Amino acid sequence: MKPRLQTSAAALCAMAFCFMAFWMVGSSTAQEEPSECLDCHRQRNLNSNEGVLSSQRFCYNCHQEPGSHGDFRASKVSLQVKPEYFLTSPHRYVACVQCHTRVAQSPHRALSGVQCASCHPRMYGAPGTHAEHQRVRCEACHTDSPFVTLDAANNQVKLAHTNDKQAPISLAKHKVTDVSRQEFCSRCHVSNNQVGAPTTVLPSKSFVCIACHYSPLQMGSPVFPVAIIIATMGVVGTLAFWFKASVQGEVASVHRKVQLGSEAVWSKVFSWEIFPILKTFFFDVLLQRRILANGVSRWFIHSLIFYSFFARFALSFLALFLQKFSPESELTLTLVSKDSSFVATFNDLTGGFILAGVIWAMGRRFLTKPEYVSTQEQDTIALVIIGLVTLSGFLLEGIRLLVGQIPPHVALSAFFGYAISRLFSVVDLGWQSMYGYIWYVHALLWALFIAYLPFGKLKHIFTTPLSLLLNYKRG
Amino acid sequence: MRGQTVEQPIYWRFNVLHRVVHLVVMFAFIGVGLTGFSIAFSSWGQAQTFVWLLGGIDSVRYLHRFCAVLLYLCVTTEILWVLYFKLVLRGNLLGPNSICFSRRDLRYFRQHMGYILGRRQAPPPFDRFTWWEKFDYWTLFIGMQTMALTGLFLWFPEFFSRYFPGVFVNLAQVLHFDEAVLAVFYKFFIHTSVRHLRPEVYPGDWVIFTGKVTKETMMRAHPGEWAALNASQRGPGLGDQ
Repeated sequence: MKPRLQTSAAALCAMAFCFMAFWMVGSSTAQEEPSECLDCHRQRNLNSNEGVLSSQRFCYNCHQEPGSHGDFRASKVSLQVKPEYFLTSPHRYVACVQCHTRVAQSPHRALSGVQCASCHPRMYGAPGTHAEHQRVRCEACHTDSPFVTLDAANNQVKLAHTNDKQAPISLAKHKVTDVSRQEFCSRCHVSNNQVGAPTTVLPSKSFVCIACHYSPLQMGSPVFPVAIIIATMGVVGTLAFWFKASVQGEVASVHRKVQLGSEAVWSKVFSWEIFPILKTFFFDVLLQRRILANGVSRWFIHSLIFYSFFARFALSFLALFLQKFSPESELTLTLVSKDSSFVATFNDLTGGFILAGVIWAMGRRFLTKPEYVSTQEQDTIALVIIGLVTLSGFLLEGIRLLVGQIPPHVALSAFFGYAISRLFSVVDLGWQSMYGYIWYVHALLWALFIAYLPFGKLKHIFTTPLSLLLNYKRG
Repeated sequence: MRGQTVEQPIYWRFNVLHRVVHLVVMFAFIGVGLTGFSIAFSSWGQAQTFVWLLGGIDSVRYLHRFCAVLLYLCVTTEILWVLYFKLVLRGNLLGPNSICFSRRDLRYFRQHMGYILGRRQAPPPFDRFTWWEKFDYWTLFIGMQTMALTGLFLWFPEFFSRYFPGVFVNLAQVLHFDEAVLAVFYKFFIHTSVRHLRPEVYPGDWVIFTGKVTKETMMRAHPGEWAALNASQRGPGLGDQ
């Protein structure tokens, strides 16, 4: 019985292998490969200006002619490129085939469009802006044609081949947009646009947003510098207050207090005492042993909020790190994009945890009221800020998925956001313009969080670990 | 300080700020050197392997600039410290406790050379910093300014070539490389051997990491400072640095 079983298994495997082999061969021959001109014809040396100009000249042979045209929806569209005009372009020493990489072939059609990313890093210059516009092709903003369209087939915003009256237009002008002027944003960010952009041009994220989102190292909207200044003043005030106390018997000289304090820290860090300190850090700060000792539900509530924030900060920081060190890698582009399935699921999950933690804590404070929970005003303020930030974040996500016409198979990764977007699609409250307002609410709430950090309950994020570490137990 | 059994009075030579600055400078300098030379010798197999290990040329460039910015932040910290020393601590920049060169250093240098050549019986009574320590400090400090300037030319060539002829970028490249070789040779060979290979301290002088020296070391290496401390009747402890 056994050998027969082996034989039939082997036969089955062989059949499966043959089937796969045929399938693979079949699929590779199914598409007819276009024949590449440069397989036989000599490519100019594009590393020299001479070679570039010679290569350009080859294309100009036809494309300089006024009659040069393409067919689009049964009408003729000019494909004439004027050399005297192109000579003023920043790409004047770049050969046509270096950007239009797929045109040197027969049939002579450029289906892939211009390939900016073969030279330019995709997040170059303004990583904050580029991260928000990952589904927008470069030329949709960076060339001078004002007509753009959302291609539902591949969820990309690209240059339109027709103008607003659906008449075919030529895109052969090759003029690069002056991005220092704000007007170029308004080809998409206007009311009733069809490409899924919010009506308002919003500022870039600030670096303080890194607590939850990938954000570039920028100040962003002016509310953030203001919040940071207030927070800094609070930190300085707290430190000044701390150093009013005596340090190891020294009462007067701040210089000596700092010296003695720093000396004490240094001599602890560079000694065997660092191991019990690290142990305290691991168990009491990271695993929050003391809160667990106070009660499981209390630990659970705190962990829902703490670990979610912690995980989001870690992931956002990783994204920033990768964006700096390896800006072109797939991992970077995945982590930076809000719509990539991993990031969307992760953000919705952690956001949901934070919201659940806040709601649970509020419920204990105001509904069930166990005896050991003492409610202070400060606690409520902190919880309300965190809850509202998270809630506004979910609303924003829902509106963005709705307004941006993100296809369901992409949007579903953000399960909460998608549910909200479906809910919002029932009534139209002008979501396109609403997005800007709710964005500012979300940003202002976070600025409030930052400004409030050194003053109220939120200060415990820093002071509790510090006092736990200072009061570590030996052994 | 190794193997000592008797509790000895401790004298504080470097405060925590200077220890931190030295640690950061140490690692940032090694980082800047490794990444810089692996960019400069990019045709070598070893450099290519190292660059691959760090994640490619873009990443190495970023690391190089990151370390360089860190180094220059330390220079800025030192400048701020000088201001603090002068304005808050009311220190004398030409006094015996200062890292700055003064006329006395010239005399000590002559006397020290005399001692080395056998014309004097004892080395001069060095103050807080000896002439070679000051030399160590100022070579790095001044070197950092020129490295920063040429480095900025190479970092932002488009910006600088608007105001200077293009040949300045090439000049910056040559000078940046040459000075890098000089600085690395000076720090990795002369600085480390002068600090750690002297018989009194071999195999290592830990003072920049611990910040403290014993009475013996004070009397041997900084007799001038020791005398000044005793003259003003200041006991052991944390002196203003």
